[in-house]
Order: sequence, then structure tokens, then C-alpha cells
Amino acid sequence: MRRYEALTAAVIMAIAAAAMFDTRRGALPDVAGGAPGGLSGGFYPFWSAAVLFAFSALVLLRSLTVAQAAEGVFKDRQSVTAMLWLAIPMVIATALIGVLGFYVMTGLYMGFFAAAIGRYRWHWVGAITVLFPLVIYLIFEVGFRVGLPKSVFYDLVKF
Amino acid sequence: MLDVLGDLAGGFGVALQPANILLLLAGVLLGLIIGVLPGLGGTSGVAILLPVSVLIAGAGGAGGATTAIIFLAGIYWGALFGGVITSILFNIPGEPWAVALLFDGFPLAKRRGRPGLALGSSFVASFVGALIATVLLTFFARALALEAIKFGPAELFAVFILSFTTLVGLGSEAPLKSVMMIALGLLLAAVGFDSLTGEPRLTFGHVELLSGITFVPVTIGLFGIGEVLASAEEQGIGFVERLSAKVGLRDIGEAFSALRKRIGMVVPISILGFLFGVLPGHGATAGSFLGYGLARQYSKNKEDFGKGEISGIMAPQAAADSAAVGSIVPMIALGIPGSPTSAVMMAGLFILGLQPGPLLFIEHKDFVWGLIASIYLGHLLTFAICLAAVPLLALIMRTPYAIITPFIIVISIIGSYSLNNSVLDVGVTIVFGLIGYWLRKLKYPLAPLVVALVLGDATERELRKALIASGGDPSTFLTSTVGGFPLAAIMLTLSVLLILLPIVRSLRSRRTPTGGTAPAASS
Repeated sequence: MRRYEALTAAVIMAIAAAAMFDTRRGALPDVAGGAPGGLSGGFYPFWSAAVLFAFSALVLLRSLTVAQAAEGVFKDRQSVTAMLWLAIPMVIATALIGVLGFYVMTGLYMGFFAAAIGRYRWHWVGAITVLFPLVIYLIFEVGFRVGLPKSVFYDLVKF
Repeated sequence: MLDVLGDLAGGFGVALQPANILLLLAGVLLGLIIGVLPGLGGTSGVAILLPVSVLIAGAGGAGGATTAIIFLAGIYWGALFGGVITSILFNIPGEPWAVALLFDGFPLAKRRGRPGLALGSSFVASFVGALIATVLLTFFARALALEAIKFGPAELFAVFILSFTTLVGLGSEAPLKSVMMIALGLLLAAVGFDSLTGEPRLTFGHVELLSGITFVPVTIGLFGIGEVLASAEEQGIGFVERLSAKVGLRDIGEAFSALRKRIGMVVPISILGFLFGVLPGHGATAGSFLGYGLARQYSKNKEDFGKGEISGIMAPQAAADSAAVGSIVPMIALGIPGSPTSAVMMAGLFILGLQPGPLLFIEHKDFVWGLIASIYLGHLLTFAICLAAVPLLALIMRTPYAIITPFIIVISIIGSYSLNNSVLDVGVTIVFGLIGYWLRKLKYPLAPLVVALVLGDATERELRKALIASGGDPSTFLTSTVGGFPLAAIMLTLSVLLILLPIVRSLRSRRTPTGGTAPAASS
């Protein structure tokens, strides 16, 4: 637990430091009167980042100096595998939206889960693959006229 | 008093006409559907159906405008209740003010296996909150609107700061992490163009970040995707939810019983929510967060918050609904919208040939009182429909994992995409889903991050407006008064105390704040 706590706090500190560096020019009130109300655009993000940095440092310090819970971050290897079974296809499916479009991606993604996790019979997998995107299409595109991303093959098949 | 009651009776005469009742019912049903659908909410629902209201007004003759606005208001109330359903059942907020419901609604529905009770509690609180607010609206509409308009930027800034500080220590073990999450939320809210100077901030040369990071994709990622990933790890894949089969009257009875025990909390929070709603341009979101924070601060069971505590459902929901009703006050009395949805409704008033403002009470008395009466009827209808549908809605939770899990991810993607038609927002959702999963593993409270992200822009805007108005003098926050009271100074002092006390307590404790067992996932 300790190393994960410390590492996470350190990463957040780094993000805060980058934000402070980016907005450093607006850190102090503009006494010359160039900015409206004496504050330039950088003031608010700089001090938000400064608070983030300071409190991350405190959490980092405490993670290194104060007794930590005995339990680990992950339950066991099997639980991590279960999470990855979900996370990896999700990331791949999202990355493919630009190419396959939303409807094809949804059909394949739902069908994959029905087949690989649900272990349904092929006709159920086929029905899920076709029906879910179809219902979403009817509700969003036809009903509410909310366009969702189309595939690169849109000229050939209209979804 | 008597003249108000007389006017209200006249209003009921208008609202109870068959055509008005029918269109109110249609509006409520459409609103419920819109509220449940990801990416659509009250504002977009009213906007989408604005052309329909014009047709209704045209067909309705002399009272057509009243019928049309009753229809639009019905959509608003329906969407308010509909947004609750996705928050509680899927951990995906339909509306910004439904975010606070995630913290306890979803844990009660899923972890404790009581979706019916979670939904029932929320609907009951919604109804009570809205009823209290509508009574206040009836008697104090004009007077309150005139008082609220006196709130300056200093007071509004103080209101936001108070909203944040009530959330410190939300997961009571980790006030330091709460402050971190608030600061991170404020930082994320600042990404993109500075609305005052046009200066790009925190974009690091990426053009696509110039428009900023909106809270919807982040919230869907942190709560929707993050929870799905955490569930997969905790329960394994392929599990089927085992929920109580007896969802129905028992849950509804329990919800009423829970309300009776908490009536001392729900009533003042509803009044507070109403007052928040009256503040132009703010309303339900800030009200619901403050409602949640206050309920937790004054609860004897602080440690139960984030784990399915019913007060954590009732307080934000009562506040949000009463604030939504409150947002109608400045719209009809002053012509200033109290919320984005009432802004769209106000656009509807203009289209229908009505000029919102104090004269509306005199020149279009039937319209104003018909609308007020329809608010009573609309909430009653929505409440009845929702209660009848609770068992049906809770059945969604029993859908097999292999279907419901990818479906939640798919509707999360639609929700994040459809806001700005942006594939980048989908990426933001996925990234924040992974971040949310990790942060909840380390028991970082996620609610303060989302609250700060939602209210960050408005907080900065009011801070800078206050300083511009005072010529850059920060003492304005101490000297600004409303009706002779230094409200901003009082709220800021209270905020300092609320933030310092848990931090000092945490720093003095020898045990790590991360060592608790409370799930940060939902807090």
C-alpha cells in the first residue's frame, strides 16, 4: 500500500508542479492594473495547483511516515485479471470508434461480451450484435436526432 | 395571503382543464424518458421539444401559451426524476444536480442490494422538496426574487466556497485527500480559454484542450466506468446481481418511514435548496451538493455516508428539486433564468409572445398562476408514475453481467459523446474511468473532485467579478453586505472553520487516513 500511496501522491505533485509552471506569470496580483480586477488568467489555476501541490506533499509525507493499512491495493491476481478483461476491450473499442463508427463498434463489443463472458448461443450473440445498435440508432438518430460517429465506410453502408 | 390563495385557486382552474392535464402528463412522460437517456437532460429535452410547444400554443387558442408552458414544465419535472434513475442504478448522472445522488444512491442500490429503496427514497424526497418549494414559490415568488437579485459576486463566491468546504472530509478518513481532490477539480475546470481575457490556460499547446474539460465526460468516467472496473475486480466477471426480489410496496413504505425520521433534515434543506434555486444562474447543482454536505456534517452517522445512507440520497434530491422549482422564481418574476433549463423555458416564453418579468403577474395573471398550479400537479403526476414504475426500473439491475456491463459502457460513451459531438470527450471518459478506478483503490474521495469541476468556472467568475467591482480590493469579501449583513464574510469564516477542523484532526491522528475501510468509490 505504502509505495502505491507515495507514487500516486508524487504523480499528482508532478501534475500540480507542471500546472504551476504553466501559469506562473499570473501567480501574483497584477498591481500595474493591466488585468481586470488585478488578476490575470493564471492566478486562479496557479493557486489551485499550489494547494494541490502542498496537500499532495502532505499525503506523500504521511504515506512515508505514518503506519499504513496492512491490506494490499489489489485483492489477488484473479481479480486484476477480471478487471483487465473489462478494461482492455473497452479501451480497444473506444480507440476503434473513429474507424468503425459507433454502431459497428457497439455491435461487435456487445457481441464479444455475449460470446466470451456470457457464453450465449450463437443466435443470441447475433441478435445482441444487431439489435442493440439498431435500438440505439432508432432512439438517438431517428427519435432525438442526435448523430453518433459513423464508420469510415459511411459512403457504402449508412452507419 | 387570501388574495394569493384566490389566485392559486384560479390557477388550478386553468391547470385542471383536460387539455392542460393531458399535455402535462405527456410532458412528464417525455421528460422521464429524456432524463433516463444518457447525454440528454431537462435542458436539452425542453430545447428539443420547444418547436412542439409552439404548435401546442397555436392549436390551443387563447390559453394555448399556458398549455404550452405547462407542457415544457412537465418535461422539466419528468427529466428531474428521470436523471435520478441512471444515477442510482448505473452510477451515471443524467444531470449535474444528480451527481450528488451517486455518492449514496448507487451504494444502496448495488452494494446493499436495495435499488427499490434507493429509488423510492429519492422520489419521496424529490416530491417533498418540490412541494415545499412550490408552496414557497406560491407565497414568496416576487419578494424572494427581489431579495436574491441583491446577492453580489462576493456573496456568490462565498456560497461556492462554502459548498466546497462542506465536502472536506466527505470520506471522513481523508480530509487531506478531499482538499487535494477539490484543488484538482478546480484546476481541471480552469483548463482552456480564460473566459475573461481569452488567454489559453493549461493547454500545453494542445488545440483540442482550448475549449476546456467539461464535467460530464469526467463524471461519467470517474463514477460510471470507474465503478464498472472496480466491480469487475471485486466481484469477478460473469456475476449476476443478486437483488431482493421483493421490490415494491415494502420499499416505498420504508422510504416514507425513512422520510418521517429525517423530516427535520429534509424540510430545512428543501428551503435552502429553494433559496439556491432563486439565485439567478446557479440553482440546483450547488444546492444539491450543499444539501449533501450539510446532511453529512450534521448527521450522527457520518461514517455511513458513501455507503448507502438514506440521508445522503434524500438531502441532495430534496435540495435539487426544490432548487429547480426555485429557479422558476427569477424567470417569471424578473425575467432572469435561475437555471439552464429555465433559460430555455424563458426562450419559450418569448417565442410564445410573453415578456417574463414582474409585469407578467399583472398582465398575464392566468398564465402565471396556471403555471404555478401545474407545478403542484406535475410533481404529483411524476411522483405517482415513478412510484408505480419502481419495481420495473429495479428489474434493470437483474440483467445478466455480459449484457448490462458492456451496455453501461456503451451508454457512458453515448453520454460523453453527445454533449459536444466530440470523440475526444469519449477518450476523456475512458481515461478518467481508469483514473477513477485507481483513485478509489487508494480511497481518494471522488465527489469533491466532481463538485469542484462542476462549480469551478462559476467560482472563478464570481471571484474575479467581485474584484473587478471593487477595483482589485480583496477586502470586498469582508465588507460586502446584503441588507446590512456581511453575508460573504460570515460564509467565508464558516468555510475556514469547516476546512481547518477536519484537517487539524487528521494531521494529529497517528494512523494513516488511508487506512479506513470506507469505500471511497462512492464518496
